[in-house]
Amino acid sequence: MHGPDIQWYVILAALLFSTGALGVMVRRNPLIILLSVEIMLNAANLLLIAFARLHGREDGQIFAISVMAVAASEVVVGLGMIVAMGRRNVELDVDKLRTLRG
Amino acid sequence: MNDWLTTILICLPIAGAIVVAIAPLTAYWLGSLAALVSLVEVGFWITSASKFDFGSSSLQSAQNRSWFSDLHVSFHVGEYAFSLWLVGATVVVMAACTIYGWWAGRDRGRAYFALMLLLTGAIVGVFTAQDLLLFYAFFEAMLIPLYVLIGVWGGAERMRATITFVVYTVVGSLLMLTAIIVYGLQQGTFDLTQMGPSNSTWLFLGFVIAFAIKAPLFPFHGWLPITYRESPPEVSAILSGIISKAGLYGLLRIAIAKFPGVAHDWRVVLLVLASISLVYGSLLAFRAPDLRGVVMYSSLAQSGLIVLGLFAFNDLGIDGAVLQMVNHALISTALFLLAGMIERRTSTGQFALLGGMARSRPALATVVMTVGIISLAVPLSTSFAGEFLILAGVFQQGWAWAAIGAGAIVLAAMYMLRWISAILHQDTGPAVPDAALDLRLGELAVIVPLVVCLLGLSAWPNLISSRAVGGNHAKQSIVVEGLRR
Amino acid sequence: MKAAAWICLLLPLASALAITLGGTTVSRRVAGYISTVTTMGSFAAAVVAFVQMLDQSAGHRGHVTTSWTWLAAGPYHFGLSLLVDQLSVVMMLIVAGVSSLIIAYSVGYMDGEAEERRYFAYMSLFVFSMLLLVQSGNLLLLLAGWGMVGLSSYLLIGFHQERPSAVAAAKKAFVMNAFGDATMVLALFLLVQHTGRLDFAGVFAASPHGGAVANLIALGLLGGALAKSAQLPLHTWLPDAMEGPTPVSALIHAATMVTAGVYLIVRCHPLFENAYVIQDLAAGLGAATILMAGLIALVQTDIKRVIAYSTMSQIGYMFVGAGIGAYPNAIFHLMTHAFFKALLFLAAGIAIHAVVGEQDIRKLAGIGKLMPQTRAVFLVGSLALVGIFPFAGFFSKDSILSAALDRGTFGVIVYAAGMVGAFLTGLYTFRLFFIVFTGEPTPFAREHFHRHHGQEGPLSMRWTVGVLAALSLVGGLLQFAPLWHPLSTWLGPIERPLAEPTNWQEWGSSILAIAVGLAGIAVAWAIYAAGRARAPRALPLLERKFYWDELYDLLWYRSGDLVARGFYALVERPLVAGSLSALTAGFGVGSREVGRAQNGLVRSYVLALAGGLAVLAVVFLSVR
Repeated sequence: MHGPDIQWYVILAALLFSTGALGVMVRRNPLIILLSVEIMLNAANLLLIAFARLHGREDGQIFAISVMAVAASEVVVGLGMIVAMGRRNVELDVDKLRTLRG
Repeated sequence: MNDWLTTILICLPIAGAIVVAIAPLTAYWLGSLAALVSLVEVGFWITSASKFDFGSSSLQSAQNRSWFSDLHVSFHVGEYAFSLWLVGATVVVMAACTIYGWWAGRDRGRAYFALMLLLTGAIVGVFTAQDLLLFYAFFEAMLIPLYVLIGVWGGAERMRATITFVVYTVVGSLLMLTAIIVYGLQQGTFDLTQMGPSNSTWLFLGFVIAFAIKAPLFPFHGWLPITYRESPPEVSAILSGIISKAGLYGLLRIAIAKFPGVAHDWRVVLLVLASISLVYGSLLAFRAPDLRGVVMYSSLAQSGLIVLGLFAFNDLGIDGAVLQMVNHALISTALFLLAGMIERRTSTGQFALLGGMARSRPALATVVMTVGIISLAVPLSTSFAGEFLILAGVFQQGWAWAAIGAGAIVLAAMYMLRWISAILHQDTGPAVPDAALDLRLGELAVIVPLVVCLLGLSAWPNLISSRAVGGNHAKQSIVVEGLRR
Repeated sequence: MKAAAWICLLLPLASALAITLGGTTVSRRVAGYISTVTTMGSFAAAVVAFVQMLDQSAGHRGHVTTSWTWLAAGPYHFGLSLLVDQLSVVMMLIVAGVSSLIIAYSVGYMDGEAEERRYFAYMSLFVFSMLLLVQSGNLLLLLAGWGMVGLSSYLLIGFHQERPSAVAAAKKAFVMNAFGDATMVLALFLLVQHTGRLDFAGVFAASPHGGAVANLIALGLLGGALAKSAQLPLHTWLPDAMEGPTPVSALIHAATMVTAGVYLIVRCHPLFENAYVIQDLAAGLGAATILMAGLIALVQTDIKRVIAYSTMSQIGYMFVGAGIGAYPNAIFHLMTHAFFKALLFLAAGIAIHAVVGEQDIRKLAGIGKLMPQTRAVFLVGSLALVGIFPFAGFFSKDSILSAALDRGTFGVIVYAAGMVGAFLTGLYTFRLFFIVFTGEPTPFAREHFHRHHGQEGPLSMRWTVGVLAALSLVGGLLQFAPLWHPLSTWLGPIERPLAEPTNWQEWGSSILAIAVGLAGIAVAWAIYAAGRARAPRALPLLERKFYWDELYDLLWYRSGDLVARGFYALVERPLVAGSLSALTAGFGVGSREVGRAQNGLVRSYVLALAGGLAVLAVVFLSVR
């Protein structure tokens, strides 16, 4: 296998994932939260491809492409909602968006 | 044909319910159809009774079809001697109540009669099911029609009443379900005729609490006052007449028969609860200010008395308990229907507003007096026979129980005489219009057969008491032995 | 004979059913005739049974006939069986005979009453129940008859339904009798447990001799007897029972129902002899009742209540007789008492009927002048009651008293009580007679007195009273122990008396009794007729009937009411309202608390997710 050992990929993915997770938990702007979710998804994709390469099988790569497809659809929906909220001058702050409470 | 009798008894009313639900007829014809079905049901029961062999203690008119074979759950129905009598009481009471509902006229007749027929089928199913899960299914199936009947056709506070009733019952039923599942899995089958006895106290208690809520027994009777007051009179009659007997039947068929050791250990506790119910119910009946109050608390007292008989664990007690179950079913139905008839005329049940109805209403006076006197167990009546057997039986467990029972006899005299007097005697009450009619033909057609049954039983209570548990040898354990087969 | 017994029993039942089911198609008069004819038919059947029994030898006169098994459970069987023996046939004759006379009287007394049919149906039901009681072959059926006479008594005392006092009196009578029923039923349970059966022959053979169980059995039966016969301490219902129509008082509360207790003790004498303490107790309570009732009767102002207390007192004599073991004498007094007490009530009824239903002796005073025939029969009845030779009461009452002398110290005490009672009887009876039937009529009486077609009362009332007067005159001649005693001989095989007075005791006691009775009459004459002495002021103790009513009201009714109210407030309301609202409140609180987690903030949901994930990771790693 060429390139760095598997542990570097794992560390990178872990860092990416935690960055994304932190962003989701800490940031208040829904756009940034969506961005952070994308970072988490990419971290997962990286891990999938790295291990696929390690085992020499394509399963991980195929799964990564499905994830990308799903991520794209979800971003479309999410961005669409954020743009709609922006057009209606709703304040883009998740702490203030509490209508769906129990 | 014999095998199918029990299944017919269960399925006929259910089929009738379906027909009533979809047939394109007016409410009057639907009611007559329902009445016809309930009378045919009585006919089938008479056939079943005439074919019954009281000399053998085994299950009769039985049918067994596998349902979930991997869990060994089957559709197993059949009749023992005491279930035969309880089914008989059920069909008679339901026929009387259905015909009363038809005569009195209930709006949304289609739903009403369908539910009454469904209820009939479910109750017969409870008394004849020989598989525990089937028993549970029918036990819960009784609740659905009752919930709707009370909730739609009841009095002013009907929603509270029906929710109270359902919540109480379901809490008990959940305990029972847990016990059923554990017990069934332990035994490897759910068929009551094949399950062996168990020594588990928790299982016993699970069953007993569920049945004690149904019966009801002190202190599980919290649902009693509001539910009985707010139901339509025929539903109160059904509740106190037969639904309570379902609980008592369960105590006999399952709790005592399948857990003999534990039942013996817990005998004193249950006798105490039964005695408390008896005295407490009698005292509260003495103070109750309205027609239904007296009858419902006397129901509580009678449940206590029957449990005293059941837990006497001897022939006298159990035969007496079965006889008294049938007696009380007929008596309390008659009392509640009479209360309903009086409430129709005076739009109240409060004693303070009633009185003097005997004047120029001889039929009403005679019927109220007759039913009231039988209900207070005047010697030579069938209720006296039942009480005598029960107390003689429980006397052999300890004189104190019988002494309490004897005291309750005096209390029963006091509250029933008060009930009769408040309706019939002294000055005409403010709520009694002079135009209030005597009992009409339809009402007589409902009440008189019940009174005739009671008088017939009074002449010959031996019909039930010596045929309560089949078999010729009569020793203490036969009750348990006979039920196991 | 068995057929005669069944016919005797069932005719009144048939009458009651016919009148009830007939409803308005049966006219009021006809209802009365149905009732009268069937009761007379019963009497005829009883006579037939008696005659048939005469043919049989003395030792073989008892016959049991069973129709079907009424109740059975396991090894216990209780049948609908009738016992026809010497004692029951005597009782059948008394009950059916006196009942037919009184029901015939009622046809005239209740004429015009709106609810006459109901009255005769109830009277027939009563006769049936009483016959069932005396003919029953086992204790269960006896209890059935016992309860049903109590029921008939309730229905008849409360006959005038619009009157609150009548309804209350009826309930009181029934409840006190129910208490007696409860003690009897406990005795029956003991018998079932120890002998396994309830038929008389079996029970007498197998019941325990002496010991606590025998005492309890006898005590339970005694409790029932005391309640039914209105003896101390279960006597308070009888005076109130006078709310019923006068023939009812005559039949039920003088001649028949209240004597059922005596019948019970005499019939079950083997059980009582096994528990002689209880038997002595019965005699003692009887003696106490003689005195107490006699004292209270001295101050009563209602004519029927005086006679009621007199009944209570005379039944005390019968209890004394049964208690000391002089069974034939007790039954003899039962018979003569039925005659003269019914006579007194019915004669009083004629007077009451003639003066618009007034019962107060102060208002009725002097009516005798306007009703000489009634006065004559009332005098006959009074003399019979006091026990003056040759009237009926003399023979029967004295036989009991003299038998008491045969029973040691206890007997002498009882004898003394009986003698004092005889004095009191003379006093209160003739107080009544002198006030009501002698002297000048009051203005009230003159104003309201009316004749019935020129006679003092309707024909049916007069001829029946006449028959009873004749019986009171000659009925006692049936038995005079020193000289002839057919009744004792007849009952002898089954009722072997424990006490047989000697001839000397018999004669001496008789003379003393007559003397004492005459003394009472003399004092009454002095105070009430001749005005030579003044009546002492009535003690409140007597006027309040020794405060028994107040005691019972406090002890049973008020305490029961208090307990019931306490239960309702402290147990029922918290239990009923409390348990359900606790349940719903609990659910409400629980769901509200859990609902706080749904706050709508995305970030808290994410935090929860992350936290859960961390926990799962730790668990997964540690388990691995």
